[in-house]
Amino acid sequence: MLDLVAQSILSGIGVGCIYGLIGIGFCVIYNASGIVNFAQGAFVMMGGMVTYTAFARYGLPLPLAAALAIVLVAFAGVVLERLVVRPLWNRGSTMFVMILATLAAQIVIERLALLAAGDQPRTLPVFTDRPPLRILGLAVNFQFLWIVACSLLVIVLLALFFSSTKTGKAMRACSINRDAAALQGIPVSRMLALAFALSAALGAFAGILITPTQYTAFNVGVPFAISGFIAAIVGGFGRPLGAFTGGILLGVAQALAIVFLGSAFKNVAALSILLLFLFVRPTGLLGPAK
Amino acid sequence: MMNSLTSIWAEARSNPLLLVLWLAVAALAAYVFVNGGYLMAVLQFACIYVVFVAGLNLFMGFTGQVSFGHNAFAAISGYTSAVLTATYGWDPVPAAVLGIGGALACALIVGYPVLRLRGHYLAMATLAIGLIAYEVAVQWDSVTQGYMGISGIAPLGVGRWTITSDRGILIFLIVVALLSLLMVRGIRRSRLGRSFVAVAGSEDAARALGIDVARTKLLAFLISAGYAAVAGSLFVHAVGFVSPEVFGLHMVVLAFTMLYVGGIGTIVGPVFGAVIVALLPETFRGFKEYQDLAYGAALVLILIYTPRGLVSLPDLWRRRKAAQKTDVQQTSARQGGAA
Repeated sequence: MLDLVAQSILSGIGVGCIYGLIGIGFCVIYNASGIVNFAQGAFVMMGGMVTYTAFARYGLPLPLAAALAIVLVAFAGVVLERLVVRPLWNRGSTMFVMILATLAAQIVIERLALLAAGDQPRTLPVFTDRPPLRILGLAVNFQFLWIVACSLLVIVLLALFFSSTKTGKAMRACSINRDAAALQGIPVSRMLALAFALSAALGAFAGILITPTQYTAFNVGVPFAISGFIAAIVGGFGRPLGAFTGGILLGVAQALAIVFLGSAFKNVAALSILLLFLFVRPTGLLGPAK
Repeated sequence: MMNSLTSIWAEARSNPLLLVLWLAVAALAAYVFVNGGYLMAVLQFACIYVVFVAGLNLFMGFTGQVSFGHNAFAAISGYTSAVLTATYGWDPVPAAVLGIGGALACALIVGYPVLRLRGHYLAMATLAIGLIAYEVAVQWDSVTQGYMGISGIAPLGVGRWTITSDRGILIFLIVVALLSLLMVRGIRRSRLGRSFVAVAGSEDAARALGIDVARTKLLAFLISAGYAAVAGSLFVHAVGFVSPEVFGLHMVVLAFTMLYVGGIGTIVGPVFGAVIVALLPETFRGFKEYQDLAYGAALVLILIYTPRGLVSLPDLWRRRKAAQKTDVQQTSARQGGAA
């Protein structure tokens, strides 16, 4: 039993990294614009689906297919920003309208994927096809190592981007005060598009990493988006590192829920954690970002 | 009640588009009643959604809140009705009453903590509630029979008196839809309705006027949940079948599209929204993927271009014309100055 729990916690950490990356995607857009993008899950789904299509149907090598998918999905993020978010933004729409529009966009993308790729679940081969390592009696498979290593790498790169590049600093300036940033000559609206591209790329990357261990299908977006949102809430909305921590906590909690309650109610468990946090501590574990 | 009727009439007279729409809906209902056929199901479906959307409108349009989770209350009452009549052989009326009561009790329990939230927290919390209801409907298959759904649900009726003919069901649903609309009208003009609108305008200002904001929001939530529950029970009894998909995210998107097509915050908007969206040719065909695609895309376009809905179109035109006129005047004035 103890072995099973430890093993579950381990796999929960892996899935939790993915939730964390998606949660960071929420934070990037939220910090740049104050918008909560409910179409975040579509990026995760597209990441897996595009990689699968490029890999399995057009025979591209997996790394190339993944890179192509990330670029294409980042582009899709910009398209979403141009077609849906920008017009509403310019008209000064309320937050509810923005949420509703991005949720509608999520459904449109989902249905387009269904039409284009069918309703069959797809999966990718694991990145390194070797038997799992045994560490302290636990089986550690290579995909888990890939997920954790890539997630940490992404976080380090993001931290470097936000702290030492000019563009990253400009985006942080936008998150502190958009008007003041505009007065400093920062192109605020271009930063919004950039935030969507970055966030979409993060989502796609998460989708590619997780697909070999689970599967991807047209309808995986909403559950992933909600898990990412829960991660962001638990970590205190707008804090990327908090979101990553929140993601890992959520992943572990969900894994334990599967052990003790059965897999049927794992989504109910995650949603209940969300409600609990919203009711008891809506500012997250670490408090609000500002 | 009479008062509400006359005021709807007065509003229709002052807005030609509204009058045309009412006439079109009435003509459609008469045509369908005489000829029956495929449109019968469409119109019944629209009537049920009028009830659902009217309730949502009360919470979102009047009170300025947001809920992506009202499908949960429709699901609770719908499944209670379905299980009690199909599995345990209850009469529809007590089953529906118990279902609606159960939905209201749930709304009261979740409403209290949920309504303290604002903005995207409120949106996400309600979305989570709706998704939990859907997941439970899928997973609790010893009661709900999972994706298979429940069939053989008793038709509407009391004891031996049941409504089984398509025409009878249509008449009944039209009456219920109109009653629910008149009730919304009555609520809107009451002290309670005015306090809803005050809360939407500014919670601080409403509080300064002595309105108990938390209580007002909770009441709006409960009333709209009640409408959703009525719609849920009506649906399962009228159609005779229920599955989780009936009350899934699809229901939310559909209801929002109807709400925004008709005009959020107007009293009669839900009628036109529901009828128009239900009439979209894809609605009742087998291709559900195209439906959601069309609704989603339509919703985005409406949110961008006519955020106040169809009923507001004459207003919009009038304003655009007025704007053009002032433009022309300004240009000519400028030219005059140059000369």
